[in-house]
Amino acid sequence: MPVSVPKGTTILEAAKQAGVLIPHYCYHPGLPIAGVCRMCLVEVEKQPKLQISCATTVAEGQVVNVFSDQAKKARQGVLEFLLINHPLDCPICDQAGECELQDYVFQEGQARTRYADYAKRFNPVEDFGPDILYVPNRCILCTRCVRFMEHAAHDDVLNVSERGDRAVIGIHPDKKLDHTWAGNVVDLCPVGSLLSKDFLHRARAWELDKTASVCPGCSQGCNVNLDTRNNVVVRLRPRANLEVNRYFMCDYGRGQYRWMNHGDRIEAPLLGGKDLTAVDWDHALDRAVQLVKGISGPAVTLVSPGASNEALYLARQVLGNARLQAAFRVHREAGEWSLAGVPDLALRAERAPNVAGALALGYREEFEAAIQTAADAGLLLVLDDALDGVAPEALQTPNIIYLGTRLPEIARRARVVLPIANVAEEDGTFVNRDRRVQRYFQAKAAPGMARPAWWVLGEILRGLGRGDTLSSAEEAFDLLAQSEPAFGGLSYAGLGVRGAVLGSRQPAGQPA
Amino acid sequence: MTMHDTKPYEPVFTPERRAGLEELLKRYPTKRAALLPALWMVQEARGWISDTAMTEVAEVLGLTPAYVKGVVTFYTMYHLHPVGKNFVQVCTTTPCNICGAENVVKALLQHTGCGELGATSPDGKWTVIEVECLGACGFATPIMVNDDFIESVTPEKVLEIVRKYS
Ligand code: SF4
Ligand code: SF4
Ligand code: FES
Ligand code: FES
Repeated sequence: MPVSVPKGTTILEAAKQAGVLIPHYCYHPGLPIAGVCRMCLVEVEKQPKLQISCATTVAEGQVVNVFSDQAKKARQGVLEFLLINHPLDCPICDQAGECELQDYVFQEGQARTRYADYAKRFNPVEDFGPDILYVPNRCILCTRCVRFMEHAAHDDVLNVSERGDRAVIGIHPDKKLDHTWAGNVVDLCPVGSLLSKDFLHRARAWELDKTASVCPGCSQGCNVNLDTRNNVVVRLRPRANLEVNRYFMCDYGRGQYRWMNHGDRIEAPLLGGKDLTAVDWDHALDRAVQLVKGISGPAVTLVSPGASNEALYLARQVLGNARLQAAFRVHREAGEWSLAGVPDLALRAERAPNVAGALALGYREEFEAAIQTAADAGLLLVLDDALDGVAPEALQTPNIIYLGTRLPEIARRARVVLPIANVAEEDGTFVNRDRRVQRYFQAKAAPGMARPAWWVLGEILRGLGRGDTLSSAEEAFDLLAQSEPAFGGLSYAGLGVRGAVLGSRQPAGQPA
Repeated sequence: MTMHDTKPYEPVFTPERRAGLEELLKRYPTKRAALLPALWMVQEARGWISDTAMTEVAEVLGLTPAYVKGVVTFYTMYHLHPVGKNFVQVCTTTPCNICGAENVVKALLQHTGCGELGATSPDGKWTVIEVECLGACGFATPIMVNDDFIESVTPEKVLEIVRKYS
């Protein structure tokens, strides 16, 4: 099958483009080439010996035979060696189901060993770091982990210790694998040798559903997959996007799944009075519409920079005609934790995913001032800010409409409380710090009667006679793109899974 | 395996050894390239290379401790734990084996008090290990006591050798 690729492309990458996945272990597109595993051997016409396709570049008119008898036999031999000391403990291995050793042995290996008479080498499990275990018996010594720590993290705490068939991955006893980005070695490990303690024995790979999303941890906006099992998010893993996070994500981001599953959610619309009373959506929305219609004096909208662009846009429209102060606040840490070997990638100080979106949609970072205004305002619309630190006295006067996932004490004084979905429970978009608009997809159901904020706000607007029911985040985004100049020229469908930069008409994604 | 020195740790690279190392560094294009000789200096001084010493070498050469450890564990001639004052290597590869190297080993283990290969004698003076061909197959059985090469060793000669070094 003919393929045409740029000069300097390796055979392995060229084959990928032709739809052929050449088995490989040490090669990873995000790491320097090592050529140590020999799994990727192929036959190249006019070359006397087999070549490693991960390190051999293509030539004009070259004929490569991936599946010749010689090539297949060589790869079968490599697999046979790898299995000599392997414990074959897939039934208790977390990697089973997404293990490249299983996959390639299944594809090309042989069913029986010729080494049954030898005792297997055994080494005990080692604790490498806060979230990482090393199971040396499963290790195939591809050195991806060593190279990641050396070339990407610039924190080379791992090595290859010993040699020959005694070799294992080692760590200096005074060092720990505790870099902010260390968790990536677990993803990079093609087998079940490096494991996350957090995920240990939590789920089998084949039970998981994967949903494309964007990490809500900081303004970097790393592309991730949400892995869910029975409507619970069990882990976050990086999704490749060469423009944003390449193949990686930080350990802080990995921990974000926890709050996505919190049980203390608002599950029904609530009306205020002496007590909060649960009602259906019609009543609650009706009350909200009446409150907006009855506005007197200034109005304030306080939003979370973790809300979607769609919700932020619609929240502004709701109070559009009033004298409006639209504000947000963002939690900032004292520094950035970068992945040194990758340009422009860091766990950012701004710990929210949509600060740039909030700014682009006209919100200002002036929370305190907005609270002051709110003290005498006619109406306060809150979109998922927990109002922590706000003194209850400060919010005596205004009528409050509270859209949120959880109900903080102070929000109990709201006239109407509307339950909304969190990032795992809706479709939407964020804008990251480099002004890239990125889509995230719904991974699980929202609890109880909670609905996406764009739907809730769309219904209020309809009640005000300023729109129709919105049926998707796409409709909401396209409305936004029509009226917000910063988003001009973008369409939801056009964003694809890699996003597009504000102010550029073309989606700026490029193939991995 | 991890082995630490008894505390407190005395640095290997005293000003004099430091000067020796600087001299050595002139012969290499990079500091990293001088890692093997630097490790030899440690082993000469201490008899073995502890994890703390690896960290010291790493600092001196601007490498990471993990990298140094990888190199130390790769080579079998660096000791990762203390050995006897006299370190004996006996060739037991086929030609020497045919000529009775096994008995030389037995005699050595007996007269040094080591008891078994790789162990250190109770007086701390001896460690005996087997090695592959020492390149003196015509003079079986060769042994090395520290840096001294002794050819044509027989079980009968062992006692005399042990006395000489004790
Ligand atoms: S631990 Fe995993 S990534 Fe590291 S060398 Fe072994 S198999 Fe490769
Ligand atoms: S850098 Fe930020 S966006 Fe990326 S994984 Fe970490 S917290 Fe999430
Ligand atoms: S993938 Fe080519 S040698 Fe490992
Ligand atoms: S076999 Fe003993 S020296 Fe060569």
